[in-house]
Amino acid sequence: MELSNVDTILENRGAEPFDIIEVLQDLQGLHGYLPEELLCRVSESFAVPLIEVFRLASFYRAFSLKPRGRHLVTVCLGTACHVRGAPRMLDEVVAQLDVEPGETTEDRAFTLETVNCLGACALGPIVVIDGEYHGDMSPGKLRALLGAVRDGDQAVVASV
Amino acid sequence: MSRLVEVSDLASCREGLTRERSAWPIRVTLSGGTCGEASGSTGVLKALTTQLHKDGLAEKVHVRVTGCQGFCQEEPLLIVEPLDVLYCNVKSEDVSEIVRESLVNGRVVERLCFVDGASGRTVQRPADLPFFAKQDRELIGHNQSIDPCDIGDYIANGGYSALAHVLTSMSPEAVIEEIRASGLRGRGGGGYPTARKWEQCREASGQERYVICNADEGDPGAYMDRGLLEGNPHSILEGMMIGAYAIGSNQGYVYVRNEYPLAVAHTREAIEQAWDLGLLGERILGTDFSFDVKVARGAGAFVCGESTALMASLEGQVGEPRSKDIHTVERGYLDRPTALNNVETWANVPRIISNGSAWFAGKGTDQSKGTKIFALTGHVKNTGLVEVEMGTTLREIIFDIGGGPQNGKQIKAVQTGGPSGGCLPAALFALPVDYEALSAAGSMMGSGGMVVMDDSACMVDVARYFLKFLKDESCGKCVPCRVGTDRMLEILADFAEGRGTMEQLDTLKDLAWAVGAGSLCALGKTAPNPVLSTLRYFHDEYEAHIRDRRCPAGVCRALARYVIDPDLCADCGQCVEACPHGAILEADVYQIDQTLCEQCGLCAETCVVGAISRV
Amino acid sequence: MARTVTITVDGATIQTAEGSSVLDAALEAGICIPNLCHMPSVSPIGACRVCIVEVVDDGRRKMTASCTLGARDGMVVEAHSETVLRARRHIVELIVAEAPNSRAVQDLAARVGVTRSRYPMRDKHCVLCGRCVRVCDEVWQSKSLGFVGRGGDRHVALPFDKRPDLCKRCNSCVEVCPMTITPCPGPMAVPGICGLCESQTSMVENIPDTCVMCELGRGFQCARWQLRGLLAPA
Repeated sequence: MELSNVDTILENRGAEPFDIIEVLQDLQGLHGYLPEELLCRVSESFAVPLIEVFRLASFYRAFSLKPRGRHLVTVCLGTACHVRGAPRMLDEVVAQLDVEPGETTEDRAFTLETVNCLGACALGPIVVIDGEYHGDMSPGKLRALLGAVRDGDQAVVASV
Repeated sequence: MSRLVEVSDLASCREGLTRERSAWPIRVTLSGGTCGEASGSTGVLKALTTQLHKDGLAEKVHVRVTGCQGFCQEEPLLIVEPLDVLYCNVKSEDVSEIVRESLVNGRVVERLCFVDGASGRTVQRPADLPFFAKQDRELIGHNQSIDPCDIGDYIANGGYSALAHVLTSMSPEAVIEEIRASGLRGRGGGGYPTARKWEQCREASGQERYVICNADEGDPGAYMDRGLLEGNPHSILEGMMIGAYAIGSNQGYVYVRNEYPLAVAHTREAIEQAWDLGLLGERILGTDFSFDVKVARGAGAFVCGESTALMASLEGQVGEPRSKDIHTVERGYLDRPTALNNVETWANVPRIISNGSAWFAGKGTDQSKGTKIFALTGHVKNTGLVEVEMGTTLREIIFDIGGGPQNGKQIKAVQTGGPSGGCLPAALFALPVDYEALSAAGSMMGSGGMVVMDDSACMVDVARYFLKFLKDESCGKCVPCRVGTDRMLEILADFAEGRGTMEQLDTLKDLAWAVGAGSLCALGKTAPNPVLSTLRYFHDEYEAHIRDRRCPAGVCRALARYVIDPDLCADCGQCVEACPHGAILEADVYQIDQTLCEQCGLCAETCVVGAISRV
Repeated sequence: MARTVTITVDGATIQTAEGSSVLDAALEAGICIPNLCHMPSVSPIGACRVCIVEVVDDGRRKMTASCTLGARDGMVVEAHSETVLRARRHIVELIVAEAPNSRAVQDLAARVGVTRSRYPMRDKHCVLCGRCVRVCDEVWQSKSLGFVGRGGDRHVALPFDKRPDLCKRCNSCVEVCPMTITPCPGPMAVPGICGLCESQTSMVENIPDTCVMCELGRGFQCARWQLRGLLAPA
């Protein structure tokens, strides 16, 4: 963990009360999750009891207390996506990756998450892979997409 | 642009901007909101820029990237002016043809124009699009002429003139009176009169006051606020400034959910540009009014759309609502008087000031004035953001604008108001969009989600879906909401999985009432609505699940069974690969092992000859 | 000093300080509004919703928790109207089905006349009343434990399940827990609600809304216990 980045985030924070949540979001973005030592540092830096920081990290969906995989697959389960077949998209990902929502594959390649609406409802069902939106999904398209990401990932892992 | 020091600077600045804009010979508008980006607008923009440079047209053609224009399913949209033609579903490959034909030769590329499904007619002009033609796009229509990251576009379109007018010639009381006369009510769902809220906040005791823009649009199936904030952030800022002036506040906050990264970025950019021009900060336009706005990112919690939870989150705490026996206009953020309004409410304010309250009050019904934006989605031909005058009927929205059902199916219901709203049956489509009318029918205006469902949707499943959503999103603080939604979900799961009893149906009704009566905040109080409204209008579907152990729409998996017709089967074996559960057995003929089958339906979807069906 | 105001609870006139909790005022006056998460000397959170009442204002009735409701002059409160009783019984039915193994919860059920639950019994060890959290935070200024997670995942926990240095090992969290006040051995063994509270249940059946001398009341010096001389005044 590069402490310098953590320091930068902590030092450059604003003075508003909600900046503790902003800092946690930045740290989450930096590391992909919020490990215990980071929360302790936030607790010290803001002079807030650790339990309060822990509560924030466990309450908001944007935070994860467990490490995430190299690729993040998010299936939108909004109403519009639901009636257009989002549950089947989720089934497909669960079957392909062999993990339940919120879990990470054993090889740390993928983390599967669900979201309750991304607000791109007209394009549903939507699956987001590493921040890129894929609309009008079908199980077949999704399988191809996951396959391509996995191939890319294996190539990268092999080259390291 | 130089800093605006006095009110007159704004007018001269606008003149300059308008002159500059009228000098652009050819204008290309590309929609690049979240829907646009998801449909490939970034690639189109890149191809366009490259092509223009290659052809030496970069100076001559002005490209504007806008937010969401509303017709989301046809994204990315590209408009060429002065040719006045609209292209749909534009891909990077189409760019060279567009540049050659439309920009150089002034000809229309017909194959990229929208084809109206009903008439088979090709539509060239954006204004002729049936989807747009029947709307009243007072708010969302401006997205087309505004680059959200360029304050110049907003000012050239008359932006900040309402603020200037308010600061120079209206007292705070007069502003509140004007809003009162317009009849504006909260667009977040509840419909509380905006002027009354402002007045109470103004009169509450305390030194510091705050204005907050609630952009934590968590309703699944609703994205009007994203459309506005992404596409026209300055209109919201201007509304907040006018509101702040009216209630006597110098500090505002925009609370945006973090699932909307583009809205966050555009709002931040807009604030920075407003600061640079002197439209935010000390002594704005040389008057005594000072104001600042900050953006707070939500961190993923639906309950933070509730005002007290939102303020708790702003205070750096978990988003748990508190009792509202003392209103937030008296004790809100940091226990100080706070006026919180929804994005769309704020966006309406500058238009009311500019056009006059009579103009606004002239639109709509007795109790519901102005226009309302809806996110029309689900099983309907045309999906996207739809802005209509209040009082427009559901039928007009779903059939005239939405184009009716897809694939010749029958539309059964429309879900309005998100998890707090309800499902209205097709028999009630003559209902106007009006706060009171929708509430009386057991749904609510809500923030504006409108999910259309045809006969392939199961209403028990829809109720179950919303209960699951609410159980996940409940903060968990109070018993009726936390335990009640869980128990309702338990009962609905029994129905959907063929274990239900008629006694449970009575328990469900009683429980729904108790949760509504006893919960702490609006999330819990309205949590039973999806159950109550489906029970009210689709009782027969519940009975079919309970008495006949049958799901009429064939959605509830536990009540369905998949079989392979050996006569149709082509023995290709693709279903075996498709099945995630290893339930398809390869014997003499392919067979589904019902003990392993999870009824996901992937095999049926994979089968090319249609040999697998649900029975 | 806060002004004294007059409020009406179930027809009885009570004088109390303006803004003080209606529940406290009623309990002090000997009017029992059943409650669970309420605890004297720590701030109310309105979580269990057992103490809900109706505030009658100009013919309009609004249901709200009485613990978080501040008294205002002339306020008219109904703590035992038909609507309130119906909602309160259902809420208690939910609570007792979550955690039937607590004498305090059983007493509460008896008190409001809940003698069966329509929901499958669960055996939870916490009803998330938050007494422990608030006593730790407010009385001991310790903030060692708190509510973690949300919705169905909400639970009381220590940060990363480790006892923080802030903890003074005072054990108050355990003492105020309604689950540890005389655990109830009966209910999970037999279907329905506790078999050991028959006397209480029959008492409530004959005289609705009567005091059952509940464990919570004893634990927190309820006026009724003091009035009957069963407890020395605090």
